[in-house]
Amino acid sequence: MPGKGLIVRQRSLIAITAALAAGALTLTACGSRDDDGGSDSGNGGGGGTTVVIGVDAPLTGDLSALGLGIKNSVDLAAKTANKEKTVDGITFKVEALDDQGQPSVGQQNATKLVADDDVLGVVGPLNSSVGESMQKVFDTAKLVEVSPANTNPALTQGVDWQKEKVRPYKSYFRTATTDAIQGPFAAQYVYNDAKKKKVFVIDDKKTYGAGLAATFTDEFKKLGGQVAGTEHINPDTKDFNAVATKVKNSGADVVYYGGEYPQAGPLSKQIKAAGAKIPVVGGDGIYSADFIKLAGASGTGDLATSVGAPVEELPSAKEFVANYKAAGYKEAYEAYGGYSYDSAWAIIEAVKKVVEDNDGKLPDDARAKVTEAMQNVSFDGVTGKVSFDEFGDATNKQLTVYAVKNGAWGSVKSGTYTG
Amino acid sequence: MSGIGPVEPGDDTRAREAPPPRPRGRLLLRYERHRRTVLASTAVLAVMAGGGYLYASRPQPRPASAPPYPSQAIDLVYVTPATGSPATAAGGFGFTVLLSVRSGPPVTVTRLTQPYDGLSMTSSPAAPFQTKSHSARKITVTLRVTECEKAPRNPGLPFLDVTLRNTRAIEAHSFILGARYAQDLSQALEVACGNDSR
Repeated sequence: MPGKGLIVRQRSLIAITAALAAGALTLTACGSRDDDGGSDSGNGGGGGTTVVIGVDAPLTGDLSALGLGIKNSVDLAAKTANKEKTVDGITFKVEALDDQGQPSVGQQNATKLVADDDVLGVVGPLNSSVGESMQKVFDTAKLVEVSPANTNPALTQGVDWQKEKVRPYKSYFRTATTDAIQGPFAAQYVYNDAKKKKVFVIDDKKTYGAGLAATFTDEFKKLGGQVAGTEHINPDTKDFNAVATKVKNSGADVVYYGGEYPQAGPLSKQIKAAGAKIPVVGGDGIYSADFIKLAGASGTGDLATSVGAPVEELPSAKEFVANYKAAGYKEAYEAYGGYSYDSAWAIIEAVKKVVEDNDGKLPDDARAKVTEAMQNVSFDGVTGKVSFDEFGDATNKQLTVYAVKNGAWGSVKSGTYTG
Repeated sequence: MSGIGPVEPGDDTRAREAPPPRPRGRLLLRYERHRRTVLASTAVLAVMAGGGYLYASRPQPRPASAPPYPSQAIDLVYVTPATGSPATAAGGFGFTVLLSVRSGPPVTVTRLTQPYDGLSMTSSPAAPFQTKSHSARKITVTLRVTECEKAPRNPGLPFLDVTLRNTRAIEAHSFILGARYAQDLSQALEVACGNDSR
């Protein structure tokens, strides 16, 4: 039989425990979190069925900075959807494939993604030429594709888009604005604001670069500008001295380059080294921190247009930036991070609609239904309102001119297409 | 020894006398003397600690979100040419645009310009003018060719440049009014400068 001292100690212990328990219960009861109902479930997922969001982007090679930013941003969207249980009973996973910026590899990746029945949507690719090679494969399988970065108008409006717009594939969508606006937007800025009247146009002969250079040139000439010369470069080389000399001798007061930063950086450097102290202007393909590294100090004053408004103007983008940082990704989200997140979220929203319309389950023809649902998706995303027009193009058409200043890109002027 | 008998006691199985109670420490003695006070104090401390934690971690009302940048709060769209206006009769190109403030505080247009050399522009109402949230205002714009030599020929995606101000920021923004505006403007330029050799 326990002695009296022990009883006293036990009663004391019980009393203290009761007091602490009461305190703890009070904490639990009163300390309710925000209005989200405490749905935070970490990354544990939304439930039993797994839906895979495919990603196709250059994850290795020269363009990997942009590609890894795309992959990470899609991953962040999937994790967020799982954490918030955005779609009841669905857990999203990401399957990322490396296209190395090559159309043929992209096409193989498209076939692989189609073969995986769990894949209900794909984000990507980066390059318009790669997108071109994937569209038919996805469309045949009724698998929806949302590109955050393809800007060539033909992908959504057909090859004769300047004469008559015809949508070639119902399964293809994009969140980025097209070069039908980006090229003229750049031309207007260069001619009217920067007061440059004589341009030397260079492109890399690829779908994106040549297309963008063409839309720029067309508008520049319409405004009264003069084309001092044109050249094509081989994207497999980094020696552009011959072209740089031609630029110098042409008397141009500006260079427009249709292409991507791995070539644009050295090209800018070599043009200045040849004695032409004139700005190089490009599109979203050169809007990367890597361009500045490659162009060196003489790249100060170079210009790029890119899709969307500057991050600092969009509270939603600020939140994305903070979450991306908190997630601890090694690589920067780069130019297409916000658009990639929104592309992935568009797929998540389409899956949600399909599941909700089918009593909380995925239907047998889920891919076709998700593609169908994508046309009417509408939400406030990282980059603003996300929805698609009859061609699958983003309805939000904003662009910004950036300039290299003090070793970084800084926004100069933004525009909105409201036609 | 059968297998079922009690186990014979070994060295460690013998019952030992209970050890004499250890002398109680002064602290324990004092505790026993003031048990009720100590318990009450502990409970009060626990509740106070809990209360403090609760206060520190209480749900904070979300800080009021900053108003949107003015360019993110408005739409500016091309409506139609303003035929029959005095400006048009005098050789200008008149048209209307609709400015809508979708959200946030009122937005003031402090400057409305067109970017092309060889053209001048006036608007009615003249800047500055303010438009309230969730409302729209029609603006009549008149362009006049001042120098055909310098005027654009047929711009594909012409702009209007607008300086906007709300309580968040002042910013310059371009509005690309689309293909209909481009066609109407080109037509007006053709009429104004058609006979000019450029």
